Amino acid sequence: MRRPRVLAFIDPWSPDPAELPAIQAHLRGLGAELGVVTKRGTWLVTPDDPPARLAEAPEADRSFEVADGATLVEALAAAGDAMRTPAPMTFTRREWALTSIAAGFSLALFGCKGKPHEDKPAPAPPPVVKAPMPPEYDIVLSVNGSDRKLKVEARVSLLDALRERLGLTGTKKGCDHGQCGACTVHFGERRIKSCMQLAVMSQGMKITTIEGLAQGDTLHPMQAAFVAHDGFQCGYCTPGQIMSAVAMLAEGHAKTDDEVREMMSGNLCRCGAYPNIIAAIQAARKGAA
Amino acid sequence: MEPFGYIAAADEKMAIDEAPRGTFIAGGTNMVDYMRLGVIKPTTLIDVSRLPLTNIEAAGDGVKIGALVRNSDLAYHPLIQQKYPVLAEALLSGASPQIRNMATTGGNILQRTRCPYFRDMHYAQCNKRQPGSGCAAIGGFNRSHAVLGGSPACIATNPSDMNVAMAALDATVHVHGPSGERDIAFVDFHTLPGDHPEVETVLQPGELITYVTLPAVTGKQHYLKVRDRASFAFALASAAVVLDVQGGTIHGARVALGGVGTKPWRAKEAEAALVGQAPSPAVFAKAADAALAGAKGQPTNAFKIELAKRTLVRALTEVSK
Ligand SMILES: Cc1cc2nc3c(=O)[nH]c(=O)nc-3n(C[C@H](O)[C@H](O)[C@H](O)COP(=O)(O)OP(=O)(O)OC[C@H]3O[C@@H](n4cnc5c(N)ncnc54)[C@H](O)[C@@H]3O)c2cc1C
Ligand code: SF4
Ligand code: FES
Ligand code: FES
Repeated sequence: MRRPRVLAFIDPWSPDPAELPAIQAHLRGLGAELGVVTKRGTWLVTPDDPPARLAEAPEADRSFEVADGATLVEALAAAGDAMRTPAPMTFTRREWALTSIAAGFSLALFGCKGKPHEDKPAPAPPPVVKAPMPPEYDIVLSVNGSDRKLKVEARVSLLDALRERLGLTGTKKGCDHGQCGACTVHFGERRIKSCMQLAVMSQGMKITTIEGLAQGDTLHPMQAAFVAHDGFQCGYCTPGQIMSAVAMLAEGHAKTDDEVREMMSGNLCRCGAYPNIIAAIQAARKGAA
Repeated sequence: MEPFGYIAAADEKMAIDEAPRGTFIAGGTNMVDYMRLGVIKPTTLIDVSRLPLTNIEAAGDGVKIGALVRNSDLAYHPLIQQKYPVLAEALLSGASPQIRNMATTGGNILQRTRCPYFRDMHYAQCNKRQPGSGCAAIGGFNRSHAVLGGSPACIATNPSDMNVAMAALDATVHVHGPSGERDIAFVDFHTLPGDHPEVETVLQPGELITYVTLPAVTGKQHYLKVRDRASFAFALASAAVVLDVQGGTIHGARVALGGVGTKPWRAKEAEAALVGQAPSPAVFAKAADAALAGAKGQPTNAFKIELAKRTLVRALTEVSK
């Protein structure tokens, strides 16, 4: 059987003759090999042979999930634990993070028992499992009138897909927990919080973001009203406020200032621009009526 | 958020067949929140949001509400506005318009507690999250916690406003699972924490809520919610009441409390104290005392006992005007 292989993620790294004897001594104690994974490729260090370069890491494999440990023994134990959970995800980064991979990297861990290190009990042997990379899904989002194809993991929110993948950074992230409204977009006719909605669940519906509101160079009346009434200070909450306000008028449940306050309660403004926000919305409402 | 798989259920059968492999997600407003906090770690999400359980229709004298009806659609539906204003008020007092546009009937029924220790993974002690680990809220910061139905293991509230109205209205929850369909009375749907706060309902693994029915009710209805700010906050105390007064006498009363119970709290004792009496401040006060008779306060939430009483008295006063 092959020796267990501990993977370390360090970038950049190249073998340092001063450091090597200590590393190899550790490896001998453990009966293990060490794979040092850098963004550009992987080094293999065995107890006895000089370090050798393995293949270049393919682009797709440059993201990885790691389990951390202060020592090799701990790292091995962590690796075993990580491999036993279906979706290992402890992600910590340390200067010298001796870690083990559990997601589908180009290297797999081999399940042999390590030799006890300084009389400490050996960690349970990691089972020979190669946990899958998180699955990705091909989706099409209809955003501001155009269909955008994406490949996303299921955990990507609509907000992150819009901002990080489609470059539509007008929609803001405030809390990421549905509490602030900065991420408000229109999903069909409805205003929703895009941080609480998964991208994979957002297909087949017309999504409108703040970027899709104006007609060419002509601002949407609500945008113009926010400008005219100074409905903001720092402006961070503003795209959410405007998207929310446009939908609120279409819903037709708020007329008085108090009703507008209630129906805009899902949009917080840390700058406290509320009086001007209400004024802007009421002006837009009257203009629209 | 940890990675997970995703399956979009094409129909009810597929959702139930896939259920052993994963966890349902509907509006996602509770699920995504708790997954991002690391509190819930599904291996696979089964998306039921596209199932055609989106109707609201008359059923006999009552109404049948699909599990995928969005909270906003339910609140503004003419049948609900006319026949169940207490439900409309409860829904519209909850969350924000954006969240109500996403949240579903089924998801709202099953939303998890807002106990800050349950939400915060930095606390090791939470019996609901980690059975047997203890309860950080007892002896900790428990201003938002329950005074009714708590146990030495957990005092977290059921946070839903909609559930309070559903409890008062004697709703029935219809579920479809691997071993067929069954109906569960709303008041029996949620369980008390007891020794097992991690169990919150009688729903069995793989059971999908398909719809909820409400019977016809007579009487004036009202939902009153008291909270830390005017809007967009969970209840400190709330009351859903239906009072049927005929010829100066209370013929029927339905009372449920929110924000104070470990489950949506139907207060039968208060109802018994009301029926047969003429509505008056003294009768309402007696009913409120009866409702809170078993209450147990913690150092920082004992104020809720009096608050809940006053909330109930005010709600009853409102419907007897
Ligand atoms: C900032 C914020 C403020 C809020 N304020 C309030 C408030 O004041 N009052 C209030 O009442 N609520 C409030 N909520 C909670 C909100 O009402 C719930 O999140 C919502 O109702 C959950 O519905 P959902 O469809 O999004 O559920 P999901 O998040 O999709 O699911 C919730 C749970 O239900 C299960 N589930 C969903 N549908 C079904 C089904 N058909 N069958 C079986 N299981 C199912 C899921 O597996 C999950 O366990 C607030 C939420 C947020 C984020
Ligand atoms: S009250 Fe319940 S949910 Fe909150 S910490 Fe205690 S056990 Fe956990
Ligand atoms: S970022 Fe979505 S509500 Fe705050
Ligand atoms: S303008 Fe700064 S948060 Fe609203």
